[in-house]
Amino acid sequence: MGSESLEASEGIANIDRDKCRTGIDGLDNILNGGIPRGNTVLITGSCGTGKTTMSLEYLVHGASNDEPSLFISVTEDTSKLLNNMIPYEFFDNTLIENGKLVLIDMPVMYKRLGLDKSEFTTEDIDVIVQAIGDIVKELGIKRLVIDSITNVCFQLKTNEKIRDFILQLGKVLSGLGCTSLLVSEISPAEQRYSLYGVEEAIADGIILMSNLERRGDLLRTLQVVKMRGTTHSRSKYVLDMTHIGVLLVPLLKGGGGI
Amino acid sequence: MEAVSTGIPTLDSNLVGGLPKGNTVLIYGSPGSGMELFAKQFAQAGAESENVVYITTSERDDDILSTLERYKWSQDVNILNLSTMYYEQILAKQLEISRYRQEGIQLDDIRSFTQNKDEKVNTNFLTILTYGISKLEPPFRVVIDSLDFFLEHYEHEDVIATMRTIKAHTLHTGSVALITMNKGVYSTRTHSSIEGIADCIIELGIKIEEKDLKRYMFIQKLLNYPNRVGVLNYKFTDKGFSATE
Repeated sequence: MGSESLEASEGIANIDRDKCRTGIDGLDNILNGGIPRGNTVLITGSCGTGKTTMSLEYLVHGASNDEPSLFISVTEDTSKLLNNMIPYEFFDNTLIENGKLVLIDMPVMYKRLGLDKSEFTTEDIDVIVQAIGDIVKELGIKRLVIDSITNVCFQLKTNEKIRDFILQLGKVLSGLGCTSLLVSEISPAEQRYSLYGVEEAIADGIILMSNLERRGDLLRTLQVVKMRGTTHSRSKYVLDMTHIGVLLVPLLKGGGGI
Repeated sequence: MEAVSTGIPTLDSNLVGGLPKGNTVLIYGSPGSGMELFAKQFAQAGAESENVVYITTSERDDDILSTLERYKWSQDVNILNLSTMYYEQILAKQLEISRYRQEGIQLDDIRSFTQNKDEKVNTNFLTILTYGISKLEPPFRVVIDSLDFFLEHYEHEDVIATMRTIKAHTLHTGSVALITMNKGVYSTRTHSSIEGIADCIIELGIKIEEKDLKRYMFIQKLLNYPNRVGVLNYKFTDKGFSATE
């Protein structure tokens, strides 16, 4: 009986919540239609697993569907990032020109707000969240990526502040109807989904991206670990990065001898 | 002994016919003692035969030039204005930051900032100070008004180390340096270190004796001339500082 009521409630959630279609081949199926709107999702993985590319693809699909999209880059210079995007077929420079896809550098925002320092105070957290909220509001942003949230957390130092930051951020973004991906960097040997351990507990969803060695090949894999507001597959998928974008296929277990 | 004029004849004769070349002089002042005017009078006295640089941390260029003009002093003085630099590079930015923090930020604010981010500026004023002095062609006469600015913004050890560098440079080039600072504001340790570096210390003070304002100039130290330690009185005339025994 318990399981029945659980399924029923999940069914209701599926009907009630509008989905944000990621446009990434395979991912919307895994997520039963997409990410529930307003969710804050952690995209977590070690380096080279395709987090940034997939996040950008998510934004490009949104922007071409008339959903204003924003990429906040914390580490990499946005101009350099754009150059890396040009070869992909899904990328369309007119989206940048007509302002549907906006890329901003977090360090510039830090400077503007007097935050170019090594440790943020609780007041600074309010300022950052407010600033991100302001831009999202101003541009009517529906999809947001922060790459990476781990880098913002470096300046927060304590778990309490990190928790506070992600909670506040999630609340503001979801209040504005924005579906957000927070890129989180972890080391390959990490046993948890985020560097500080607190981010994963607060996020509405976790998409884990990893490397998998099989028969001398290093495969990229993707797994939806958690997603509030929708049923989803929890299987591991192989992620192929092609010139047309990210492709997801089920990881074949049989006969592979992993 | 080669000496250069301080710009105040009576003070010159009470030292060794002026300030010995190579000396760094510290002027201790209290509010209303005319420390800044002393600094300007000292600066102009070297205009004829030395490279004079007046480093200010609290005035605008116009304020300095108009004071020099008012006393009919030479305006052949180079001004290194850290006050303006501080305003433009730090304070104006802080004002701007407070506006963004209060009113919120917009995309254009970030865009406009990205475009001029190549303006890389050095905001370590101690480095700017040392660099400014290192470029001077000797013999020079450098006036720093005042050291308080640096003591307020930097670690005292760093300020003292900078002072040592300036002193050594002044000594080895046979030039002179004058530094002003407020008395009694900092720890004894800071005061003693700075006093130890200075070759000559002159304190400018005011006291009230039976409703009369008495201004005094206390020569507290002159390296190798302890017999020159003493007190002069001073007043202000249309020629600036005028001292009497």
